[in-house]
Amino acid sequence: MTYALGRVASAAGVLLAAFTVAFLLLQALPGDAVMIRFENPELGLSAEQIASVRESYGADVGLLAQYWHSLSGFLGGDLGFSVASGAPVRTLLGSAIPSTLLLAGLGFVVAALLAAALAFGAILSPSGWLANVLRSLPSLFVSVPVFWLGIVLIQIFSFRLGLISVIRPGPLEALILPVLTLAVPISAPMAQVLVRAIDDVQAQPFITVVRSKGAGEAWILLRNVLRNAALPALTIAGVLLGELIGGAVVTETVFARFGVGRLTADALDAQDIPVLQGIVVLAALAFVVVNLLVDLVAPLIDPRLKRRVHA
Amino acid sequence: MSRTPSGRRLAGLTAVVSATALLAACGSGGDAGGSGTSDGSASGTEAAAGEPIEGGELLYLEYQPYTTLYPPQSGFYPNGALIANITDRLVYQDPETLEFSPWIATDWTVNADATEYTFNLRDGVTFSDGSPLDAEVVAKNFDAYGLGDAEAGFPVSEQINNYVSSEVVDADTVTFRFSAPSPGFLQATSANGAGLLSSDTLDGDLDAYAPGNGTGVVGSGPFVIAEETVGTEILLEARDDYDWAPAESEHQGRAYLDGVRFSVTPEDSVRIGALTSGQTDVIRYVQAYDEAQVEQAGLQLFAPQTQGVNNSLSLRFTNGILADIDVRKAIVAGVNAQEVVDTVFTPNYPVATGILSHTALGYVDHEAELAYDPDEANRLLDEAGWTLGSDGIREKDGQKLTLVASEAKPQPLSRDTLTLVAQQLKAIGVDLQILAADSGTYAEAIKDPDQVQLYHSMVGRTDLDVIKSQYASTNRDANLSDDAELDRLLGLVASTADPAARLQASADAQQYLVDQAYVIPLFEEPQVYGAQDYVQGFGWDTVARPVFYNTWLAQ
Repeated sequence: MTYALGRVASAAGVLLAAFTVAFLLLQALPGDAVMIRFENPELGLSAEQIASVRESYGADVGLLAQYWHSLSGFLGGDLGFSVASGAPVRTLLGSAIPSTLLLAGLGFVVAALLAAALAFGAILSPSGWLANVLRSLPSLFVSVPVFWLGIVLIQIFSFRLGLISVIRPGPLEALILPVLTLAVPISAPMAQVLVRAIDDVQAQPFITVVRSKGAGEAWILLRNVLRNAALPALTIAGVLLGELIGGAVVTETVFARFGVGRLTADALDAQDIPVLQGIVVLAALAFVVVNLLVDLVAPLIDPRLKRRVHA
Repeated sequence: MSRTPSGRRLAGLTAVVSATALLAACGSGGDAGGSGTSDGSASGTEAAAGEPIEGGELLYLEYQPYTTLYPPQSGFYPNGALIANITDRLVYQDPETLEFSPWIATDWTVNADATEYTFNLRDGVTFSDGSPLDAEVVAKNFDAYGLGDAEAGFPVSEQINNYVSSEVVDADTVTFRFSAPSPGFLQATSANGAGLLSSDTLDGDLDAYAPGNGTGVVGSGPFVIAEETVGTEILLEARDDYDWAPAESEHQGRAYLDGVRFSVTPEDSVRIGALTSGQTDVIRYVQAYDEAQVEQAGLQLFAPQTQGVNNSLSLRFTNGILADIDVRKAIVAGVNAQEVVDTVFTPNYPVATGILSHTALGYVDHEAELAYDPDEANRLLDEAGWTLGSDGIREKDGQKLTLVASEAKPQPLSRDTLTLVAQQLKAIGVDLQILAADSGTYAEAIKDPDQVQLYHSMVGRTDLDVIKSQYASTNRDANLSDDAELDRLLGLVASTADPAARLQASADAQQYLVDQAYVIPLFEEPQVYGAQDYVQGFGWDTVARPVFYNTWLAQ
């Protein structure tokens, strides 16, 4: 119980820190959203008009006052309004989150399956060269730029073969290529860590004991090795969340999907601080929750961790 | 009625089978593409295939999501493309002849010094929320656009000068008054910047026009925003009871299409691929290097012109180096605009021959003065005391002849253009750096003549005022000018009531900009669209925003 409370308190601390650091970093960038939106020469506004806009957006008050204003808004659940468009940040995030959650969730599941398939294939492969190929695939996957992969998949499967429509596709059709694009680079580090962990575990004496009792390779792998090797892969999965968010920025642009990634790219370009603050806190929240889940699930996989938790 | 993507693909195939249809389509597409659109044709339907067919939904791929539907901010393409189709204007300006004719106003009078405009309005016009479009609401529209509203966050429209007040004379007559002659006002009433909105819509503040509120922005136009998914899609639905198209339009009554679906697809290769593979009907922003792909696929390519101030580099003469007119003249002579067009662009981007596009009102030909002449450039720089250093860059009193140009994201292929210009300037010993920056850094740098000396921009508006918009120190101020004479000349353009004298004022301002070597005009900027061959009657307004009123699907 104390453990859970401690975790929640530290999570709140992480969120506050993320909010503050994001606020300071965004303030340090040259220019601001009011300047980008209203001082754009193409609007042809005079200096006095811009000054009055500045005032009406509260952009003329001090840094501390702005910080306090937006922090108290966040605590009260009011995420403010986008400076670039005037739309409520809550509306923007609300319409962006479901699509990204689906994309990232499926991307993660497919990446995990792909990683597992690669790792098992490499370990169980009867021929040496195939094992080598499978072991080197993750290095290839991790070096493929996401936007390039997306465009190539679209060119082949949609424009050449006509199998999948990228423009106004059906709900399932809309997910196939983006999920694949997102999953391939994410699967690479997972597969690498898994292969490495399996190698390590297989070198341990207890495996030799099991093997000497007459167990087959596949049985050993599933029954004895995997349980011990899964933990590092699970831990890195929590870290890969950041990659998922980064990958979503590119994937959503290439596939013309609206989601948190596209929203981030647009907001960053316009230095739309209220939107970026919302995204940063959301991303921090996702990190905290996922890592909390990883920590809670870990003892179930590796009972040795339980003692530490309940100590 | 909505057509599925596979239906569209099938239609594409049928067209390919019919060789004659394909050739005909190629012909019309090729014409629009190859002629440099010198005729400023308002529609791509030269070879219209028979009687228009009513019905169907057209899919239009847009490059960026819109940012606001507040009409004075319709200069941004995605905003303007929506406003052009959901609103009507008082007066119609023909995109080809640039002549004015009645639309919501049946007739109008202007007093001799252009300080008072009276419009008589058409009867029976309604907004899509059912409210009447009468003198009262027209007055409310122009009060908002002409005066702004600090509380609601409405800035004053750049296109409306010297506005003072409106007066509702009777239910269908409205008068506008100005503190000084405002000869550009008539054109302003025809532009997207003065799209007429319902009274309820105008009661909202600027944020009520933000993405997410599209269905609440109510106009009287042929289409209505029926559905919106923020950041990705907008569905325009035709109004069945629309019956007040511009008087000169042959087509009256409702639009042919049942609907137009705007879908945001930011990636260039995906828009082009979707078009050539038959997954969409029309796309906006075909990059110059992709035009051939569209034509080779036998599809239509439209390149309407924006007909205003040309795509150009403005020289910031308040910067120390550029304060010397001889240096400016040398740089103008050292840039080869023809090579820029030949290398980076296509014949749809005609080489600039003056400050304004040759189809713009008041255009004056300055081709000879703007000619590429590297020998003259070298001579001028030698005389000005800039001597060639060992690294091929000129210097004077220990200072290198280094200038910075801003990469402008709204301009097509700005970076490629500037890279080539930098190569050209290198040949006369000028080092041109290109500033590629995030929006914040860009917004700050372009306002400082010591950070950016060559500013890349253009502006489209089919009124003589356009030159003032671009160069006046109180408007876009492309040169960051402190030149009172320039402001005086530009002020005359915006405030001379006599049409002939106003034309002369524009010519004087152009001559002054050329004489002072304040501008390097590069090319006349089009807006390039690709469309399937069955898309008929695709049109555009004076500044190349798409108009779907006459569009229909021949299948």
